[in-house]
Amino acid sequence: MAPVPPAEPASASATPPTPPWWRDRRVIPWVVQAVVGLLVLLLIAFLLGNLVRNLTAAGLLLSWRWLQQPAGFDISESVIPFNAQLPYWRALAAGLVNTIRAVLVSLVGATLLGTLVGMASFSHNGLLRRLARVYVEVVRNIPLLLQLVFWYFVVFLTLPNGVAAIQLPGVVLAKSGLYIAGLGEGLRWVGPTLVNGVWQSPLRLSVEFGALLTGLIVYSGAFIAEVVRGGIAAVPKGQWEAASSLGLSWFATLRRIVLPQSLRVIVPGLNTQYISLAKNSSLAVAVGYTDLYSVAETTLNQTGRAVEVILVLLAAYLTLDLLISALMNGLNRLVQIRER
Amino acid sequence: MSQASSELMIEARAVEKWYPNGFHALRGADLTVRRGEVVVIMGPSGSGKSTFIRTFNALEDFQKGRISVDGIELSNDLRNIDAVRREVGMVFQQFNLFPHLSVLENLTLAPVLVRRRPKAEVEQQALALLERVGIAEQADKFPGQLSGGQQQRVAIARALCMEPRILLFDEPTSALDPEMVREVLEVMQNLADDDITMVVVTHEVKFARHVAHRVVLMADGVVVEEAEPEVFFTNPSHQRTRRFLDQIL
Amino acid sequence: MKPFLRRLRAELFATPADALLSLGLIAVLSLAAFGFLRWAFTQAQWAVIRVNSTLFAVGRYPVEEQWRLWLLLWLLFAATGLSWGVLRSHPRRDRSGALWPRNDRIAAVLLVVLGLWRPWAMGLSLSIQARWWGLVALLLLVRWLAGRFGRRFGPLGLRLVALMWPVLYLVGMVLISGGLGLVAVSPSEWGGLMLTLLASSFAILLCFPIGVLLALGRRSDLPLLRWGSVLYIEFIRGAPLITLLFLGQNILGFLLPGGLAPDRVWRAAWVLTFFAAAYLAEAVRSGLAAVPRGQFEAARSLGLSYPQALGKVVLPQAMRVALPAMVGQFISLLQDTTLLSLIGLMELLGTARTVMANPAFLGKNAEVYLTLAVLFWCCCAALGLGSRALERRLDPHAVPSAT
Repeated sequence: MAPVPPAEPASASATPPTPPWWRDRRVIPWVVQAVVGLLVLLLIAFLLGNLVRNLTAAGLLLSWRWLQQPAGFDISESVIPFNAQLPYWRALAAGLVNTIRAVLVSLVGATLLGTLVGMASFSHNGLLRRLARVYVEVVRNIPLLLQLVFWYFVVFLTLPNGVAAIQLPGVVLAKSGLYIAGLGEGLRWVGPTLVNGVWQSPLRLSVEFGALLTGLIVYSGAFIAEVVRGGIAAVPKGQWEAASSLGLSWFATLRRIVLPQSLRVIVPGLNTQYISLAKNSSLAVAVGYTDLYSVAETTLNQTGRAVEVILVLLAAYLTLDLLISALMNGLNRLVQIRER
Repeated sequence: MSQASSELMIEARAVEKWYPNGFHALRGADLTVRRGEVVVIMGPSGSGKSTFIRTFNALEDFQKGRISVDGIELSNDLRNIDAVRREVGMVFQQFNLFPHLSVLENLTLAPVLVRRRPKAEVEQQALALLERVGIAEQADKFPGQLSGGQQQRVAIARALCMEPRILLFDEPTSALDPEMVREVLEVMQNLADDDITMVVVTHEVKFARHVAHRVVLMADGVVVEEAEPEVFFTNPSHQRTRRFLDQIL
Repeated sequence: MKPFLRRLRAELFATPADALLSLGLIAVLSLAAFGFLRWAFTQAQWAVIRVNSTLFAVGRYPVEEQWRLWLLLWLLFAATGLSWGVLRSHPRRDRSGALWPRNDRIAAVLLVVLGLWRPWAMGLSLSIQARWWGLVALLLLVRWLAGRFGRRFGPLGLRLVALMWPVLYLVGMVLISGGLGLVAVSPSEWGGLMLTLLASSFAILLCFPIGVLLALGRRSDLPLLRWGSVLYIEFIRGAPLITLLFLGQNILGFLLPGGLAPDRVWRAAWVLTFFAAAYLAEAVRSGLAAVPRGQFEAARSLGLSYPQALGKVVLPQAMRVALPAMVGQFISLLQDTTLLSLIGLMELLGTARTVMANPAFLGKNAEVYLTLAVLFWCCCAALGLGSRALERRLDPHAVPSAT
């Protein structure tokens, strides 16, 4: 590189000389951006062009009219009323509600389980502590999908039926479903009862839903346990010592002193885990639970409307994620303010 | 102490800089540094002194005025920026040693990569430089295993290994524990005795008094006073300088 | 024995409540263990694994071409032994120069035991058992030779070993898929563990450069690059993998000109790659954020160019910080390959499903799924252990000082 000739004596009011644009550090960034932007635009134009051409050829150009056509398939368990004569959009809505139901229930369950296990890893009892560790290490290193099919095919589908069903106080586990006690007619507390060899109760969950919940709760519980453990570990040791020197028991110390302080660390971690849980609920299709993804898959197979179905799916999951994020950010603000 | 030659190493005229947030950090700062000269820049925090010397090797850009370093006009020209950085060494307040490289590798990285010199030769030179700053026995350690003073001496050796024509020091002793300041200042004094051109931003009055050829006071983005050490510390011509000296002495 | 008892007491029976809890846990655990062992040894029919071992290993790969996979296996074992030995023959400053440190001896014994016992326990035919013995013997032999003589080649040896793996990967690709004079085997015939490992290794290797670029883009000063990266990363991370796989299978064909769309297996592999890249980018970004700005400035003021400063100073430090998170991503990527079974590919879980659809093995869910779980657990746990070992090795503060 040739050295630049010495500059002429600089006058006081001068601005630095302008170099040719290809060596100007103010210009280069814009050139880089323009080139990258142009390449990306070209790629998108190329893909979209192909998409439009191929869809036109297949007679599948973007249209939403099929949403109004009758779905023609049934959804075995739907919270909102649904039958095969209702249009596709109702089917997708029913699937979405099923997804939300699964996410909400397993979110609560996984949080409870994770908190307990996270607390257990600080127990005085060595056995309990190690058990918590083993649970986390086992669950995290086995694919969720494998766990789900295990719960479904190995555990829930091998449950006995009728009299032989597993009867716990208020709950009966049978191959035909999970029967849970609840408020029956006239606001009386009704437990599961066997009528003509068939169990009946105010609240019945399908084994598919049961397997999905169990799988999601056990899996997410392990990750949440790690978040809780990290949060508790982040609280200075002096807090434990101060509390126990005041005579507080182990549990009281944890509940009254340590956990409230650790929330600051735990809540952002929970946000990530909740979003993963919402996304993971789409694996419901493997255990035959009709969630949004499963309805979408059936819809695609029947209508061939790949692009529209994908758009619906992506929009739904992104909205769900944003919703969870917004709620958790609100909660986070609450926890952080209380700290001061 | 040797006399400075008349050859200009740094010539900065009416340099003005605005940060992207609109802060007007330099408001027409001037400075001339001759070959072999040691110039100390002092001033209250926020006076723009760090920003000013960081413009000399283009770590900061500037919008108005001119700076030429060793005859190279600094502008937004990438070619000149690269050329200047090869000729100007910099020592930072926070040392900025590369923690993933050993002390020796810290020294040899740039000469091998930038100057494309053979590795064996650079290593010989690096060991000699470490000897010169008094830590040859630490060559195979990692920066994290050294004390702050040792790290800063390695940083000086690292800058020297590129054989720069000018050395810039940005508050080299401010992050050090008091007992380590002296070992670093001694190294810097030795460099000054070897006629290396140095621009030093520092609060060390003793160093400024005994080593510098000239002391400069910056305030509010301009050079307020420029004088020989004796004059600067005993009989400054500006009120602003007197106020500053009252605060630090 | 005394300290052991004292510790036991402190850990399990410190208070009456603790003692009660411990006894309850011990009772439940022993009942569960007893029940499981009784099932595993008396009721479970492991024949489903034994009979289908080839299917689980390589899927429906044509029998007459399977010698290629064996050849690849021989090469892999030899390469492993070679790398292991060469690494040991170059002792580091902080290590004893022992050729067979304690960990290595344990690993060797473990290998011999596994190599002798596993094929026998699986009831494989004698010729295949012999091949496994041969493989283990080869590995240890090469390990010994490389450890003994590896030093003669100096640093060149290390560089050659590092170069050997990418070359071996390409050779493996050719051996598996055919070409260069070998009969082509279509990806639809790949399956089992081979497909699982192939898909995950492909995605891990390729997501790396993409992820690093995305992370750099996200931290860039240039708004277009930054927002582009953010958009991509957040979009991918917001969508469940299954919907992206679904997109790959159903829409990729429309997005590319006719005939250019890759095979179903490759489509899934590419989707996995682009999926993993977004998550990897976040890991790398956290690593980049941990490198102080002064590092970059120091590198630049020494005259290093932008790419040099990035490649020699900033990225090595960022990668070290990001390593645990990155390995975590790789572990979940390995697990995520099971989702390929949902789009009809025959990786491990997909193979399991076809096996159990066979009337002869109906209802053998527990045996099959437990085997897969153990297999996945071992792979993932090994990755995790390896990552922790590498972390310790890379930590400059862990190197004991010479004094």
